Amino acid sequence: QNMSLSISPGQTAAWHQQILEQLGQRSKREMENFRHYEQAVEQSVWVKKGNM
Amino acid sequence: MADDKDVLRDVWFGRIPTCFALYQDEVTEKEAEPFYLLLPRVSYLTLVTDKVKKHFLKAVKPEDVEEMWFEYEGTPLKWHYPIGVLFDLHALNTALPWSITVHFKNFPERDLLHCLSNSVIEAHFMSCIKEADALKHKSQVINDMQKKDHKQLWMGLQNDKFDQFWAMNRKLMEYPTEEGGFRYIPFRIYQTMSDRPFIQKLFRPVSPEGHTHTLGDLLKEMYPAAIAHDGDSKRFQVLIQGIEPLLETPLQWLSEHLSHPDNFLHICILPVPTD
Repeated sequence: QNMSLSISPGQTAAWHQQILEQLGQRSKREMENFRHYEQAVEQSVWVKKGNM
Repeated sequence: MADDKDVLRDVWFGRIPTCFALYQDEVTEKEAEPFYLLLPRVSYLTLVTDKVKKHFLKAVKPEDVEEMWFEYEGTPLKWHYPIGVLFDLHALNTALPWSITVHFKNFPERDLLHCLSNSVIEAHFMSCIKEADALKHKSQVINDMQKKDHKQLWMGLQNDKFDQFWAMNRKLMEYPTEEGGFRYIPFRIYQTMSDRPFIQKLFRPVSPEGHTHTLGDLLKEMYPAAIAHDGDSKRFQVLIQGIEPLLETPLQWLSEHLSHPDNFLHICILPVPTD
């Protein structure tokens, strides 16, 4: 069985770009002005990298 | 260009800034200040609001404390839907923070399921994952996992541990290359304009002729009004994880990347705001 989480050439398509852009806009809209709020679930470590 | 692991992270770490306020009519012993929190979009209200409960219990007479529940502008919020779904469905086009009213009395029995402990949430979450895997792999993947693997999925969600969750969830996202996707896509379509809780039917990621099914193909079959035709103005917003993917987005990719931890693709259809 294969895992298809990597990007194939087709994913340079408009739909893929648009999802990346919209997720960026979502973070900006929903989080940018509220970073001082407390997290509901405490995260002891905010690791920005990881192996899957 | 970000790769798709970044999409998974963006989805997981999505947060809704929320202001909780105690319902005015619930008699308090002292002033109850509002309480502000960042809620994880992919979690459940009753799983992440211990701090809210602790904060407001100080202000409520002990004899007035029953099960805590939440409401937004008169609508009781179903804890068994992911937080992001509740927000997209009820409050997406309003100003942030999201204002939620907290109640400790008059539990709306007709609208909400009881949730007296986290084990109720765990049971609901695992039952959704099992249902999703029945659709995707005839339950083969979830049944091949051990009890500790199931626990790892749940603990990953409960403790907001992305790596812990995905180390196991990746197995639920596999499929035979020659089939081009899951057997069926686990999806639920929610709408505000209906009493029906959601639409859920069987839908394959690939057509019998071998064509990749897109979000547009799914909507054409399940909710044709959501698709604007040439010359028509757009009547509906189709939201997944708070964004509006293009209709040509492959459904299989959406299922792998924008599903909630319960492995369902939750799709909200809202009328386009008129103002």
